[in-house]
Parts: sequence; C-alpha cells; structure tokens
Amino acid sequence: LSLPTPPARLPYVPQVSPMALLGKVTATTFALERPRGVFDSHADASDAVWLVVAFANASAAFRNPPSRADVPPYKQLPTARSYMTLETPAAAYSCSAPGPPVLRVGSDTACRDQGRQDPCNGPLPSPGPYRVKFLLMGCGGPKAETRWSEPILLRTAASPSTIDPAPARRGSAVVVITSILASLGAVLATAVLGALGAEVWGSLCHRDLGTDAFLRRSYRTHHIPPALPRPLPPGCRCSPPGLCHSAPQPPAPC
Amino acid sequence: MAKSDDCVHILQGLLVFGNVVIGMCGIALTAECIYFVSNPHGLYPLLKATENSDINAAAWIGIFVGLALFALSILGIIGVIKASRTLLLVYIILMLITFAFEMASCITAAAHRDSLTPEHFQKQMLERYQKSEPANNSEVTKAWDELMLQNHCCGVKGPSDWQEYQSAFRLTHSDADYPWPRTCCVLDAQGLPVSLDGCKLGVPGYYNSNGCYDAISGPVNTHAWGVAWFGFAILCWIFCVLLGTMFYWSGIEY
Repeated sequence: LSLPTPPARLPYVPQVSPMALLGKVTATTFALERPRGVFDSHADASDAVWLVVAFANASAAFRNPPSRADVPPYKQLPTARSYMTLETPAAAYSCSAPGPPVLRVGSDTACRDQGRQDPCNGPLPSPGPYRVKFLLMGCGGPKAETRWSEPILLRTAASPSTIDPAPARRGSAVVVITSILASLGAVLATAVLGALGAEVWGSLCHRDLGTDAFLRRSYRTHHIPPALPRPLPPGCRCSPPGLCHSAPQPPAPC
Repeated sequence: MAKSDDCVHILQGLLVFGNVVIGMCGIALTAECIYFVSNPHGLYPLLKATENSDINAAAWIGIFVGLALFALSILGIIGVIKASRTLLLVYIILMLITFAFEMASCITAAAHRDSLTPEHFQKQMLERYQKSEPANNSEVTKAWDELMLQNHCCGVKGPSDWQEYQSAFRLTHSDADYPWPRTCCVLDAQGLPVSLDGCKLGVPGYYNSNGCYDAISGPVNTHAWGVAWFGFAILCWIFCVLLGTMFYWSGIEY
C-alpha cells in the first residue's frame, strides 16, 4: 500500500476581501476574496475545491482528509475545532470564470437549522479567530492546498446599555434663555407688587393721589362765562378813555 | 397742559401698538404650535418613546398661550383707550400669568432639545425596534421603518449601529441573514431589495449607508427653536409693553 503523495503547497494566501464592503466581516460571517487561476495548474475537470475553516489555535493540528468521505462536516466544528465547506468545482476558480468577486462564509442559515448532511456553509458560532485555507480534492484525495490565512476575528456586539445618552455639554442656549427670562419675570413681578403696594399704602394713609396724576379720567371743567364789561353810566365824561373829570356828584363807577 | 396731553397720547398710542403686535404674535405662536403638534414629519412616536415628550408639551402650552395673548391684547387695547384702572389691572395680572406659562414652555423646549443626542436615539432604536412585547413598540417600529424608507437612511449613525451593538432586532433576526434590517436595502418598485446579497454584504449602491440622525434632528431642531426662541422674543416684547402699561396705570386718576 503506497502512501498517497502529499498535496502540492500553493503559495496563495487566502484573505478577507480587500473591497470596501461594510458587511465583509459581521458577527457570524466573513467574505473572502475569490481566488482566480490559483488551481489551474493542478486541477482536472472533476476536481473540487473545498474551504477549510479552523479555529486559529487549531489550524496547526489540522490534517487533510484522505477522501471525500472523511471531510469534517459543519456541525462538528465545536468538537473537531475545524470543518470544510464551500465545495466548488475547480473550474469555477479559473481565471476566466464568471462569478461574484467574494465568497461569503456563513451565509446559509437553512442548513444549520435543518441539519442536512451536505457541505453546509452555516454561520460561525463564535467570534473566533479563525484561519482558512483552500484544499483541492480529487478522486484520490487532496491534490493541492494553499497556505493558511491570517487569523480572522469576527465582530463582537456590545450591549446597548453601554450607550450613554447624556449630552456632551450643557447647551448654552438654555442657560441664556433661562437667565434672561427669569430676570425679566422678577423685574415685572417686583414692579407689579411695588405699584400695588404703593396704591394700598396710599389708600390706607388717605393721601391725595391726584397731585401727580398726569391723566384726568374725565375732563369735567366748570363752565364760567367770561365777565362782560358794564356800560358806562351817562354822567361820567371821560376825556382820555378811563379818566373821569369828576362832577360834584358822588363818584359813580366808570 | 397741552404738552402733557401729547405725552399721554403718545404713550397710549405706543401701548396700543404694542398690544397689536402682541395679538398678532399670539396668533402666529398658536399657528406654529398647531403645526408642530400635528406631527408633520412622523417623528412624534420617536419623541414620545423617550419617556419625556417635553417638546410636545411645550408646543401644547404654546397653543393656549398664543390664544391667551390674543385675547389679552384686545383687553389691553380697550383698557388703554378707556383709561380704566380695573381693566388694566386685570390685564397686567393675567399677562403676568401668561408670561410665566410661556417662560416654562420656552425653557422646556430648549432643555429637551439638548437631550436629543444621536446616542439617545441609538439606544431607543436598538432596544425597541422590532421588539414585540410591550404593544407600544409597534409604533416605534413603524416610525423607524417609515423614516428609513422615506429618507433612504439606515440606523441612527449608519448600518453599523446594528453590527456594533446587540438589539431587540438581533434576537429575532439572525446576523447572517439580516446584518441590518431589510428597510436599509435599496428597494425596487415592489418593495423588494434590488440585490439581497449585495445588501447583506454592504456593496455600495445596494444599501443605504447614511444614518437617519440628520433626518430626525432637522425637524426637531426647527420645532424646538421655533417654540423656544420665538417665545423668548415675544416675552421680551411683552416685558416692555407691561412696563409701559404699569407706568400708564399708575398715572391714571381714580
């Protein structure tokens, strides 16, 4: 029984897609750059490329499965610390093959829930970190493998109770409005109280308030007819007007 | 005497003019506050969920203060023209009470506006959006959905709100299928995402990348400053008119 030839080591390093995608790393998924033309020199038409996903601290201990029947499934990830998924025909990774520029690991929630036996691209159960590599499998076992990727750490979401909703600083507008309005209100209240108090004080002391009132409510003027000058009595002859040369009569009012 | 008469007439004229302005401003304040209370931008459920809807209370106070100012200005005009001490005393006291209410409304609107930070809305959205238990959360959910659909925005600061924090939404929607809600995706005419994979990955053009805080804070700012600063201006004017009225009142003879 001859030992199978060890798989060829390809220099390609898998990495998270360098494109500007907001969702390329979430809490349970990540998006890898699609390898193009990496396996062309080693792949036949019937070969398949698998993605090996392992916890970063378990990647060194991973052993390639000798055949397709020994491929570790998705649901053994917590115990076996690795699994293989995304079985794709090698032709899909050739230079000219069409397809999306990223491979999303963890996008299939249905196979997780229904527990199918097929290679399952289920969501990752913990933030990791994980390392991945591609493995080209033929009928006789693994034929080529890429290098392990750098550790990929998924997002951890914080609790919303850590959000502090208090404003950073007290707004100055509130202080301005409050202080100005409060002082205006105080002045008005003082003025009203002062005016009412002065009136009450005045009515208690029976002081005549009419002396400094500038407004008479009703202009009741007593109509005094102007005095008419009386006619001169006939006995008084005044040569310059107003001067009477008096006759021997008793003076009569001129 | 003639000069004093002229001064009195000028003072009466000024007071009548001041009261006319107060009446018109009262009508304007009522109209403005009715506009805000009628919830034109659909933001009222979000403000109510903050457990103190003070801006709304300030607007309601503004409606009644505006009507009171209109009625009191008519009373003031009659009192000044007839030079009646009783009418003017009633006017002054009622105007002081209205001043106090409007002062409370202004300060409340300004202070509440300061408390509406992005973190405040983030916390409320993460804790309440799509939470099914208390029945009033469905209003919050509907308000957020409409906000995100109409303004083509996502979250408060962006879709990463849903990734950085846990949420009530995350409890019912898995991270792999729903990195962010479907309303954050660019939707076609039928209301379905143009590209679901593109939206989940965060490909530019298939999801709404900007946050909704600008769409919220714009109308809320207008609302708060409309109530607070306009009320402040009216109160300053009322202060001057009241001082003049008190001076006029103290000069009227019985």
